[in-house]
Amino acid sequence: MAFSIFGIFAVLLEFIRPLLPLILAVVIIDLVLLLLALRNNGLAGTLAALKRVLPVGLVVFMLGLLFGPWLTGAGHGNLAGILDWLSLFGAAVGLGVLALLVVWPPVALLRSKNA
Amino acid sequence: MKRRNDRQAFLAESTVDPGRRRLLKAAGLGIGSLGLAGTGLMTSTPARAVKTNARIVIVGAGAAGLAAANRLSSRLDGARITLIDRRERHLYQPGLTLVATGLWKPGQTIDENKRYVPRNVEWIHASVSEFEPDANQVVTDTGQRVDYDYLVVTTGLHVDFDAIEGMSPELIGREGIGCVYDNPEHANRTWEMIDRYTTEGGVGLFTRGPGGIKCAGAPLKVAMLTEDLAQRHGNRDRLEMIYNSPSAGLFSQPDMDQFLKEEFPRRDIDINWHHRLVGIEPEQHRATFDTPEGEVRLDYDFIHVVPPMRAPDALGNSPLAWQEGGFADDGNWMEVDRHSMQHPRYPNVFGAGDCVGTPIGKTAASVKAQVPVVVDNLVSVMAGRQLTASYDGYTSCPLITSRGQAILVEFDYNLDMVPSFPFISPYREHWVPWIMKDKFLKAAYNAMLRGRV
Ligand SMILES: Cc1cc2nc3c(=O)[nH]c(=O)nc-3n(C[C@H](O)[C@H](O)[C@H](O)COP(=O)(O)OP(=O)(O)OC[C@H]3O[C@@H](n4cnc5c(N)ncnc54)[C@H](O)[C@@H]3O)c2cc1C
Repeated sequence: MAFSIFGIFAVLLEFIRPLLPLILAVVIIDLVLLLLALRNNGLAGTLAALKRVLPVGLVVFMLGLLFGPWLTGAGHGNLAGILDWLSLFGAAVGLGVLALLVVWPPVALLRSKNA
Repeated sequence: MKRRNDRQAFLAESTVDPGRRRLLKAAGLGIGSLGLAGTGLMTSTPARAVKTNARIVIVGAGAAGLAAANRLSSRLDGARITLIDRRERHLYQPGLTLVATGLWKPGQTIDENKRYVPRNVEWIHASVSEFEPDANQVVTDTGQRVDYDYLVVTTGLHVDFDAIEGMSPELIGREGIGCVYDNPEHANRTWEMIDRYTTEGGVGLFTRGPGGIKCAGAPLKVAMLTEDLAQRHGNRDRLEMIYNSPSAGLFSQPDMDQFLKEEFPRRDIDINWHHRLVGIEPEQHRATFDTPEGEVRLDYDFIHVVPPMRAPDALGNSPLAWQEGGFADDGNWMEVDRHSMQHPRYPNVFGAGDCVGTPIGKTAASVKAQVPVVVDNLVSVMAGRQLTASYDGYTSCPLITSRGQAILVEFDYNLDMVPSFPFISPYREHWVPWIMKDKFLKAAYNAMLRGRV
């Protein structure tokens, strides 16, 4: 049973539907902060802030690797084979990138205020 | 080869009876534009809706009924679509196994039908008590006669607790009795029974109704998750677990059957073959099984009751049911062509979901595969075209073997494995299918209800 791209997006939409208001609020706030940071710091300055939040992404990635299975009610003992380990790795990378993107705009803006 | 023959037989059979087609046209169903060419089953709604003023009645607003209502309402322009079901509450039934084993809260399986009923669909809050396909009518239990030009039957099935002497749904959660096949409240009470059993120990009997039942994997999952829980509680040696199969097998797909026949003994779950539960004495904690050697009585501390299942009476006693043969004897299931999902004697009637008599496929996964076929073929009948969409028997079961692991089993009428994701082995326990079952299948189910997958 294949899923079309449209179908995969429809499933993802249903998955996040209960959290949609929260997600939208975070995205809007982050976008506003990012625009303010870009206005104050320019592109180079805003991108430089990305370097500063890199450790946050790394920490979340590590936490994802360590506690990912636990978050799903499972343990590392339940991971069987390359598929499961690659999925855990991919999920942890995803969480890390997500954390990075959420934290980056406020840090970039704070940087400009402190400068 | 067999598959090709099946397909050829289907194409030969599925041409609409011209007399009936004339009748439908005479009923004023002028179809305007067609615009159906190239409609792939897995793709979303075609760009152009088909103009029609046909009256379409869908009986049953469960998984199949809601998916059909959404797909039809976006495929058709001007159709008068009526959905009939008294039930307001929508249950995500695949979650009941997780509730009964303490992994989910009951609320996670409860939703509302109104969230999924399309705006242009009329919803009659009643039950159909009579199907009169010769008059193109259904009659509700409130006495309302509803005319249709096309009928889609999606009533689900009836769990026949009365077929087990001494059993009733009210007993679930008392006297060591559990059952996942009722509702979230009873699934939660089943969890209380399983929790107590895996703490205190004793004899546990796990049963399975004979013939076609919905999600035939659920009784197996309950047995394996109970065993897993006892291991986690450190009490496994206090439990004697016995799985009672009404036949000589555990699962219809042969590879999975073989796997389970090795897995159960490995986990010290005994198997009684040809043991069909026919009676229960709740106070005595005793169950009666029909076996080839006669009736056998077994005492228990916990029993998972899985009754036989059949079509709801209104459907099973109607001309729409199989009139003879295995599907009539098994559960008075609705007669459909197993590929086109069209009724062979009433070409303006289609069926989908648990109510139909097909060799396999009483799962939500089957509904996902069947409903697009029903909608495509129904639109073809309206347009006077040959039916081209075909259901291959696809069904799926994320067979949870323990908390944190499952096997994603997907197969078709030929009992061949047909994995959706080639990188997930259908023969091996993995963590990924567990996450799918625990976290993503409900989202996929909801997307299906909205007609999007
Ligand atoms: C414990 C359990 C575990 C399961 N696990 C899985 C799983 O892991 N994977 C999977 O794919 N599937 C699973 N399923 C199966 C899946 O839930 C069903 O196959 C699916 O819900 C069938 O959809 P349906 O529309 O045919 O029936 P239902 O969803 O049951 O809906 C039928 C509807 O018809 C209505 N109705 C009945 N009679 C009438 C009438 N006379 N008039 C009007 N309306 C009527 C009912 O009120 C109901 O709303 C499971 C089911 C159970 C119970």
